[in-house]
Amino acid sequence: MTVSIEFFGIQRSITATDRITLSVSDDTKVHNVLAYVRQRYPGLPLEEGSILVTVNQHVASLDRHLKQNDAVAFVPCIGGG
Amino acid sequence: MEILKQFKYQPAKVVGGYTDRILRLDLDKNEISIQELPAGFKEKYVGGRGYALKLIWDETNAATRYDTPDNLLVMASGPLGNDPGFPGTGKFIVGTISPLTDTFIDSNVGGHFGPLLKLAGFDALAVKGISNEDVVVLIDGDAGTVNIAKAPEYDEWTNRGALSYGESLLKAVNNGEYSDTLAAVVAGEGAQHARFGIINSLFFDRRRNRIRSKQAGRGGTGTAMRAKGLHGIVVRSSLPKANGNNAVDKKLARQAGAKLKSVIAEYDAKQLSLGVWGTAGLSEYMDKFHLFPINNYQYGQSPESPKLFARVFLDKYFVKNIPDGCYYGCNLACTKGSENTLLTCGPKAGQKMGIDGPEYETVAAISDMGIFDAQFVMEYNWYCDEYSLDSISTGVTIGFLMECVQRGYLSSTDIGYDLKFGNLEAADRLLHEIARGEGFGKIAGQGVARCKQWVAARYARNNNVPEDNVIAELSKFAMEVKGLEFSMYVTRESLAQQGGYGFALKGPQHDEAWLIFIDQVHKELPTFEQKANALKWFPLIRTWFNATGLCKLPWIDVRNPQAAATPEPAKNVPTLNYYVDYLNATTGSKKSLEDVLNDSERLQLLQKLINLRQGKGTRASDQIPLRAMAPVYDNEYAYRADYYDEWLKGRTDGKIPSVREDRHRLLIEKRRQDFRQLSDIVYEKKGYTAQAIPKRETVERFGLMDQQAAKLLDKFGV
Repeated sequence: MTVSIEFFGIQRSITATDRITLSVSDDTKVHNVLAYVRQRYPGLPLEEGSILVTVNQHVASLDRHLKQNDAVAFVPCIGGG
Repeated sequence: MEILKQFKYQPAKVVGGYTDRILRLDLDKNEISIQELPAGFKEKYVGGRGYALKLIWDETNAATRYDTPDNLLVMASGPLGNDPGFPGTGKFIVGTISPLTDTFIDSNVGGHFGPLLKLAGFDALAVKGISNEDVVVLIDGDAGTVNIAKAPEYDEWTNRGALSYGESLLKAVNNGEYSDTLAAVVAGEGAQHARFGIINSLFFDRRRNRIRSKQAGRGGTGTAMRAKGLHGIVVRSSLPKANGNNAVDKKLARQAGAKLKSVIAEYDAKQLSLGVWGTAGLSEYMDKFHLFPINNYQYGQSPESPKLFARVFLDKYFVKNIPDGCYYGCNLACTKGSENTLLTCGPKAGQKMGIDGPEYETVAAISDMGIFDAQFVMEYNWYCDEYSLDSISTGVTIGFLMECVQRGYLSSTDIGYDLKFGNLEAADRLLHEIARGEGFGKIAGQGVARCKQWVAARYARNNNVPEDNVIAELSKFAMEVKGLEFSMYVTRESLAQQGGYGFALKGPQHDEAWLIFIDQVHKELPTFEQKANALKWFPLIRTWFNATGLCKLPWIDVRNPQAAATPEPAKNVPTLNYYVDYLNATTGSKKSLEDVLNDSERLQLLQKLINLRQGKGTRASDQIPLRAMAPVYDNEYAYRADYYDEWLKGRTDGKIPSVREDRHRLLIEKRRQDFRQLSDIVYEKKGYTAQAIPKRETVERFGLMDQQAAKLLDKFGV
């Protein structure tokens, strides 16, 4: 199946792209994708506690199974000005 | 400069964050005096917003309006403002009776004015009366003088502007030189013509070698200032800024500051990167999650939005590699700006300007008009500041009028030109007309609530339909509560933020509660109970920041990684503990976070009582427009039909009507029901009746049951 990973803000300066698409196996979980991104973009700040992982715009646990066309993103904690 | 009145004084020393003095000015009589604060005052009212609330509660009444002589204009930092050892201590508040809401408004603003006012010997400044000629006030802590002077005149443009006038004034009092021992607050001609005039806070930025500005933007504080005949105030102090609060425990204060600076230094760059992008960086996150207002909040996302993302401003406009804090010692440094930006519109077209901003709110004010042009954002930003117009209220009002055109309630004949969404030239023209009080700008400058009445009366008359019916329809998309325009977030999909805007005492401004992400994205508030708890807790802690002279961003927008291990990470309690340490070190108190929240609750309650007295305190005043909770028209439902259908299925066991119109109607019914239910729970938690009136025991518990409060509660049958 195919899933996408979206990059925002300062992340794009490192990835040089808005989004990448991955072909993954059916049992892929969020943490597998996170591990892949960390390996591919070692400079990307993805520390636990500093970012939230969202799938299709909702916060997701690292154990969540991904489905076809899911969009994964790493979003900072935004508290409002 | 022609001095009309001079007052000599011995500046009080700052001890533990306070001077215990308020500078009082009466412009009716040109009187200047010092109010020594009684014992217990600071313990009860803290500072900043708290001081403004207490003065306005005591000295104004239900008939007070922004332009009556008894209205007070209060400026105050707080006990924790003015310490470069701790990030974000340049804040002060401006509090007054608002021209938009007719009740208390306060707007917080950065820069050097608050700290210098304190160093000059005053915790606050309170102005009443109306001068019979335009004046400026000069507070000189070095000379020990306060002067009321006839407002000096420069060239025609400078006299009308705020940035230009303030810069001329700052130079005039310092032999033509810039100096960081001086700061000014100034309001320009827009504040004389529109109800949403702002106050600019001007200071000298050594790194950029120019005068920069921050804005007290919300609620018409600048309009109240110019109504007093007050054009500007300059304050001077050469006292050292380091340890400016003369903290009781200097070592502990320094340690608390060092801890916060360390979190910011390590984690801002890994999170929102405010130090690089400024708050404009929020635009793309807001757009991604359907929170970015487009076409008067009809939509929350647009394919054109990337034209307004922070990268555009960073690449084309922001001057990089300059730490941009609005006060010394803040390593978050989010105050972005450009140099030598060429203006292409308006009376200053062809000239190059240094532009301070844009902040996220100004960017989103432009998308709200359906315009996606970064150059226009920069120019709109500069003109709003120079004229002294709130970029939020200006944009939301123009957006509302554009929708009135879209839906046939207004025509180009009414306005004089084609004010439709996306028409940059028309928006630009109306901006300048608002500032000058000319043409259709005279109407638009009244703000959304009054424009709604004007449009309804005209449409009803021309079409022979009942005016009340038109008002009811316009009210669905007139984005205001209590008379204040919404700040720039689409709240439809976050019930908690609908409450955040509806219950906000000053009107729908996010500095009282911003819960969208933790509700809509993080899903940390799934129940009514949790939403209501957040709607009590967050406004309390946010109020405390406005009472103490602190910026909230280092707390709320840089998540301390230790927060992840706490029960409610969004509260970022590990960082808040640094603030409590800083408070105790500075003032010598021994407070816990719980004590701090209790102090804030007293101030919230006092503000609630003022609202009640001014006719904006009951449940009816907390109602939000339909658009804030649901799609109003079919085009809005259609834009996210799949999402709304799914949402409805979750509320109806999957059984939804087959016709979209019926689904839309059902959605509106459910959303209204949710807001009613949330209101009931929130009022109960706050100690109010179901009509949102504080119960007697609540008022007594916080020591606020004076004669005025007792009479007021009697009047409401409580």
